Amino acid sequence: MAKHPVSLTVNGDEHDLLIEPRKTLLAVLRDTIGLTGTKEGCSTGDCGACTVIVDGKAVTSCMVLGVTASGKEITTIEGLASDGELHPIQQAFIDTGGYQCGFCTPGFIMASKALVDENLDRTEEEFRHALGGNICRCTGYTKILEAVLQAVEEIRATS
Amino acid sequence: MSEYTVVGQKLPRVDAVEKVTGAAQYGADVHPAGMLYGKIVRSKHAHANILSIDTSEAEKLPGVRAIITQDDVPSGRRVFATDKVLYLGEPLAAVAATDPDIAEEAAELIKIEYEVLPVVQDVMEAIKSSAPRLHSDETKEGPNRRDISAKIKELSRDEADGNSTAIRKLEAELENYADEVYYNISAESHTEAGDVEKGFAESDIVVEDTYVIPRVHQTYMEPHVSVASADSSGKITVWASTQGPFAIRSGIAGTLGIPLTQINVIGTTMGGGFGGRFGVIITHVPAVLLSQKAGRPVRVQMTREEEFLDGRPAPGCVIKLKTGATKDGHILARQALAFWDSGSVSGASIGSTIRVRGVYKIPNIKIDAYGVHTNKSGTAAYRAPGAPQAIFAGESQLDDIAEQIGMDPVKFRLMNMREEGDTVPAGGSEPEVGYKETLEAVADAAGWWNREADKNQGWGVAVGDWTNGCGPGGVYVSVHEDGSARIFHGSMDITGTDTAITQIIAEILTIPYKNVTIRRGDTDSAPYSTGSGGSVVTFTMGNTAKLAAEDARRRILELAAERLNTNVDDLELRDGAVHIITVDPPKSISLGELAAYSLSTTGGPIVGKGSFARQPSTPALAAQIAKVEVDPDTGRTRVLKLVASQDVGFAINPMAVEGQIEGGTVQGYAWAMMEEMQYGENGNVNPGFVDYRVPTSADLPTVESVIVEVPAPNGPYGAKGVGEPPITPTLATMANAVNDAIGVRITELPIKPEKVVDALKNNGHGA
Repeated sequence: MAKHPVSLTVNGDEHDLLIEPRKTLLAVLRDTIGLTGTKEGCSTGDCGACTVIVDGKAVTSCMVLGVTASGKEITTIEGLASDGELHPIQQAFIDTGGYQCGFCTPGFIMASKALVDENLDRTEEEFRHALGGNICRCTGYTKILEAVLQAVEEIRATS
Repeated sequence: MSEYTVVGQKLPRVDAVEKVTGAAQYGADVHPAGMLYGKIVRSKHAHANILSIDTSEAEKLPGVRAIITQDDVPSGRRVFATDKVLYLGEPLAAVAATDPDIAEEAAELIKIEYEVLPVVQDVMEAIKSSAPRLHSDETKEGPNRRDISAKIKELSRDEADGNSTAIRKLEAELENYADEVYYNISAESHTEAGDVEKGFAESDIVVEDTYVIPRVHQTYMEPHVSVASADSSGKITVWASTQGPFAIRSGIAGTLGIPLTQINVIGTTMGGGFGGRFGVIITHVPAVLLSQKAGRPVRVQMTREEEFLDGRPAPGCVIKLKTGATKDGHILARQALAFWDSGSVSGASIGSTIRVRGVYKIPNIKIDAYGVHTNKSGTAAYRAPGAPQAIFAGESQLDDIAEQIGMDPVKFRLMNMREEGDTVPAGGSEPEVGYKETLEAVADAAGWWNREADKNQGWGVAVGDWTNGCGPGGVYVSVHEDGSARIFHGSMDITGTDTAITQIIAEILTIPYKNVTIRRGDTDSAPYSTGSGGSVVTFTMGNTAKLAAEDARRRILELAAERLNTNVDDLELRDGAVHIITVDPPKSISLGELAAYSLSTTGGPIVGKGSFARQPSTPALAAQIAKVEVDPDTGRTRVLKLVASQDVGFAINPMAVEGQIEGGTVQGYAWAMMEEMQYGENGNVNPGFVDYRVPTSADLPTVESVIVEVPAPNGPYGAKGVGEPPITPTLATMANAVNDAIGVRITELPIKPEKVVDALKNNGHGA
């Protein structure tokens, strides 16, 4: 299949790639660029494990074709910590036990990041609904919500 | 417990940073150079004869490197179907190609001719003579026929006069049970204690019902995956997302008929398992066969759809249950007849039917359980395999009895609960248990005793018991010159077990938790370890780790005695150093100094070894209370409160333990309220998250967990297995809460809104 030139910025690094039009952004990130932190849980946009941030918005990367991401700025789980410092959301997931097997965790952290960036003033109930596009099978969500709320407090205190 | 400094603490997990940064390597993250992508070709029919498989078109597709069928399995063990498929999605062939999309295209190019056969999906249909047979025409007898046949056999043995009349009479009686000739039976199990007929006769109240529990998928978030690499010398390396690398090693060796030592299984970080990640032929064997044929590494990764078609989910079942009790609340008898849907192969956990006995004193009990073949994939374990189903029936019926005799459901349970020394129905004597403490703890925490409910609101309670498994394991611990320690073992971390092992070693060596690291070896390097399932890991590997740390401690004290010129008896290991307790001023030597010193001794470096196989486990109880509100117009149930207590023996890491309780409870909630693998005329019809709904954070409130600690005599620090119990009572908890809210007893799960609305039309006190 013919390949198309695609330029995208991932975690601040520019990538000029040749991509088959049938490849998803998830496949480009994982197989072409080699960033495997973003996970594939369903391939149908229903579980949120592949959530990344594209131009500030959380998207399920299995539902986006790689060629359509050309020119966009993408942040994946690998791009969240800076200078060896974990992002407050990452730290909060550790502190509260907000992950177990960890497979859904990158997606949850990226979805939470987009929500927190957009609006810190959400109630727990609002976060519960806003994170409804991500599935976790291990935690029962109690500690994930604790993590997000702890991160909100931390971000508020330091900003 | 203040006597400990590391165990019993809420410490961050050892794998914390890699899990929140995306660095953890799961199965599909493994990508050896030259790797090909595998795809399994699956049956498009639920029951059909295979007339032909034509791979010629697929072979011509550029990028295809290998195609395999059953002809490529040298041992002849069934990996792919040949002449007949028994379920939709059954593997028929597999392809390896340079690109996943090419592999998928090639799979579609393989032409298979079918002769479609009649399908049976329902266990109650499958046992009838009219049902299509999956394997053979063999029949088994139902409980009444078995009893009569046994009597006939006995009478036929002595040829005394008059027996022939009695035999003829019994034979005539057999005719009354013509419908008890069962077809498609995969297994049977029968247990009896006391005399149920007598028990029912003496009962004031007898309640009987049929409970239907659906087949559900473990739905671990990472689909099955393996990467296999067979080199030219015949050595096979498999990167497997599995709960049991050693079981996978022996499974592959057995299936392919090759020596164990020719296979190295590297367990990758596991994206959930819940009992469903032990299967050998689902992806591992096809990956190996493809790699052998292509001469390159191959990854076989399932899609979510394939998971639903060809995973090994939890069996559904139909349980006919009957319970008798006196009007003052004593349970006298319980009888169950269960049909477990084992799918196309045997293996459903039919023995778990015994769990209808719960944790109660029941003098008379009779259990007859059958595994039934249907046109579905086989089943596997799912968190306390079989218990949630049996306990749903048992605990639902218990509430109905409590209601009929006008007793509070918690008091009724407390009154009948077993204590140490009581006889377990069809079992031995109960050891020290914390059943009552656990139920009382949840009742207190939930505010049960002064509970209030508005219209259409209700409260439900249920308890579930489970006993952790046990198995062989080995652990090494080394102490280094900087005073740190390193653990080496071969067991898969199952959401926190590596952390528990690390805490135990740090506790015994008296060094900071952060100075102990843990490394998992592959099957080539690590000592054998039992699979991470059955709530075994903390119990087994915790005990093993303790032994290893104590062994290291012995060597440390020996070295210190040598170094400090004293006796071991005068020494104490404390705060990462050995101190002479008998001299003033005290003299001490650090672990780091001792480790450095050890390198130049005759005895050599400090290496502790622990090896453990089994000790008796102690039963654990999970008790839960839910408050719900049911909308009588839409039938929707909303959970207002969900409280879960559990006797964990001793919580080595309370944060991880709470996580297990919360997660297990929510899985139980999901089984009760939303999950169900549905089957149409041609197999599973809801193979994805849109039609197979699992809960999200929007579906539930915070789960309140309550830790109860009644120590297990043989558990490390008293710990009991914690992973499985929390799923066991929730199905009944929810059903009991809905019943309390609207007066409708739902006996067929899940409690979907339409079922509630239908049931309300006929009875109930809601609306």
